[in-house]
Amino acid sequence: MSAILQEKETTLYLGPQHPGITGNMMIELKVTGDTIRKATTHVGYLHRGFEKLMEERLWMQCFPIVCRICVPEPDPNEENLARAIEELEGREVPERAKYIRVMMLELSRMATYLLWMGGQSGSAGLYTMPQWTVGDRDYIIDLFEELTGGRVYHMYIWPGGVRRDLPEGFEGRVRKVLDYLEQRLTDYDRLLFENAIFLRRAQGVGILDKDMAMEWGVVGPPLRGCGIAHDVRKDEPYEVYDQLDWEVITHEGSDVYSRAMVRRKEFEQSISIVRQVLDKMPSGPVHNPGPNPLKWRVPAGEAYVKTESARGEFGYYVVSDGSLKPRRVHVRGPAYVHGVSLLERMLVGANIADTSFIMNSLGTCPPEIER
Amino acid sequence: MKEDWGKEAGNIIARWARKHSLWVLAYGTGCGAIEIPPTMTSRYDAERFGITGMATPRQADVLLITGYLAVKTLKRVIRTYEQMQSPKYVMGFGSCTINGGMYWDSYNTIKRLDDYLPVDIFINGCMPRPEGVIDGFIELQKLIDSGQANGWKKYQDNLEWYRTNQKKVIKNWKMPDYNW
Amino acid sequence: MSDTLQKEEQIKASINAAFRSAKVSIQRKGRIIVEFRGGILPAFASYLKEYLNFKHLSMISGVDWPEDNQFELVYHLWSYEQSIHVMVKVRLDREAAKTKTLTPLWEHAETYEREIHEMLGVEFEGHPNMRDFILEDWDDLPPMRRDFMTREYVDEVYEWRKGREDAQDVRQTIAEQYNTEVPNFNNEDK
Repeated sequence: MSAILQEKETTLYLGPQHPGITGNMMIELKVTGDTIRKATTHVGYLHRGFEKLMEERLWMQCFPIVCRICVPEPDPNEENLARAIEELEGREVPERAKYIRVMMLELSRMATYLLWMGGQSGSAGLYTMPQWTVGDRDYIIDLFEELTGGRVYHMYIWPGGVRRDLPEGFEGRVRKVLDYLEQRLTDYDRLLFENAIFLRRAQGVGILDKDMAMEWGVVGPPLRGCGIAHDVRKDEPYEVYDQLDWEVITHEGSDVYSRAMVRRKEFEQSISIVRQVLDKMPSGPVHNPGPNPLKWRVPAGEAYVKTESARGEFGYYVVSDGSLKPRRVHVRGPAYVHGVSLLERMLVGANIADTSFIMNSLGTCPPEIER
Repeated sequence: MKEDWGKEAGNIIARWARKHSLWVLAYGTGCGAIEIPPTMTSRYDAERFGITGMATPRQADVLLITGYLAVKTLKRVIRTYEQMQSPKYVMGFGSCTINGGMYWDSYNTIKRLDDYLPVDIFINGCMPRPEGVIDGFIELQKLIDSGQANGWKKYQDNLEWYRTNQKKVIKNWKMPDYNW
Repeated sequence: MSDTLQKEEQIKASINAAFRSAKVSIQRKGRIIVEFRGGILPAFASYLKEYLNFKHLSMISGVDWPEDNQFELVYHLWSYEQSIHVMVKVRLDREAAKTKTLTPLWEHAETYEREIHEMLGVEFEGHPNMRDFILEDWDDLPPMRRDFMTREYVDEVYEWRKGREDAQDVRQTIAEQYNTEVPNFNNEDK
């Protein structure tokens, strides 16, 4: 009986309507028994044609669009486009605005990691964790809401700086949230990162070979989870990351567990970075205004800028032909490689039950694959 | 007369039961799906109202269309909707289900959800806050209570019209035809 | 300035020595643009990868230039050792856009090439798997071409709901702020 079952190949469709899939995408699995023999990803369920829409919009109108490219983490997108435009124009950014930007980026990294912790443990069947982390994430979201007016999409970072200065007493509230989250980390450790079931589930699963990671252009926590210390914030420092004291975090092991530990330690480090930013933040203006946005022409040229988002290198290639609208904006989402070709490769030989587990550990985010 | 009374009492009980156990299909069709975890977890705790997630369409009552629908997703959503058991309710979540929202000139997203599926209630905003979502659910409960949430009947009665609209955007219609 | 661009100058010199048909320019620190006119792109890419250590393929972008009747493919390569980003630009004829695939060098180039094939209609010779990527049953022009008019397509295919706001209040606020006449958002000015 078991021999027959093992030989028979079956096709399984995971998604697009499936609770284990992060977002809206589909994986077609060829399985024998419960071992995956071949995996094919199908994406495109979230395609909105952003890059086409941006060709039809004024430069300023692009900002509400780009933040929707990655739903859990919109700020790196805004920062990228703003920085690309600044590079094309040669516009200076006030020092204070740079610090505020770093604070936003790190807070959004923490919010993303909290959501990811919920997803990763939820995909392993541990449903207490999402209740905690998604609830705690709301403390950060509340800060965003106070600062920018939006819970999810902020449209706060724009060319020349940020939209408005920090409100009265905001710094103290950020510190309070940081203290709370730092103390919560002990609880998370006990529930997830030191949980014997999680360790059994995660160690040795979803191995990503070191050489393969370099070869395939893997970025972010999956790469650092292989023990390779590459981080855009160090490799090509942007904003004020070179003036802050922090280290690139790596973890040996190349499996789901090591990727989880990288994120967990980076979460701790983000807390320290935000604290440093608050300590060092100079006073001054937060915006270097540009021309009337309706008559705003960005000089012809091209720029490639990149940011380290919570999932890795987010890159923007912006081409301007000197007109009111962008010529081409091409977005490199970190999940582009992770979620399609790499996932297809990594799932071969894995157990069906580990599919969404591995997918979560790579941080797949479909909206940035298809945009 | 007595028979009618019994039927009416049965309806009241059924509606009361239905409105307090709205199981939402866990299908994040668009970016609005990011506000569903906060709605469902400890802070906003939609389970207070009997709203909880459900993994399979056959056991779900509410199809929550969280935002824009790409044509490719629309095809899957229609199939999912037709697999659900009656009575079933559709909620349009976000401006983009109402009139296309900020994707009004996108070649790949539909502009009016109610042309393709019978929508019982729309929640506006881009994106709606969890309070807004819960408010939308409470409105839906009121509609169910007063017997006005009849989108599924409307779909059965006007199937031809919906099919024509659906087939207009979905070029390759390779789906089984369900008959109820 | 010259000493800070030392690494870039070195790379420029070595590319120029090996490939005559490559026009190298240094955009700024850490950014090099190579305009490659020859037809042996895989050889050039493998030279960059193996000899100059540009191991990380960030992405491949496609830009449409209908006024030149050309497509431009931009290969973004990054070298971790030297912290330098190279953009290799290749121009293709718009009527018969065809180039060789880079999948033997970087396997993940497969998805980028599939997307460009779908969005611009460029053929990649030797590509292992050219199935649909994002769109489904698309029978119009490839959507990222400049001559594909998304607004006309929308008018044709989808139904509008009446009463969409035309953002009058936003336009008035902008006009007051900059002391100009109430602007028109559908500005077709180039």
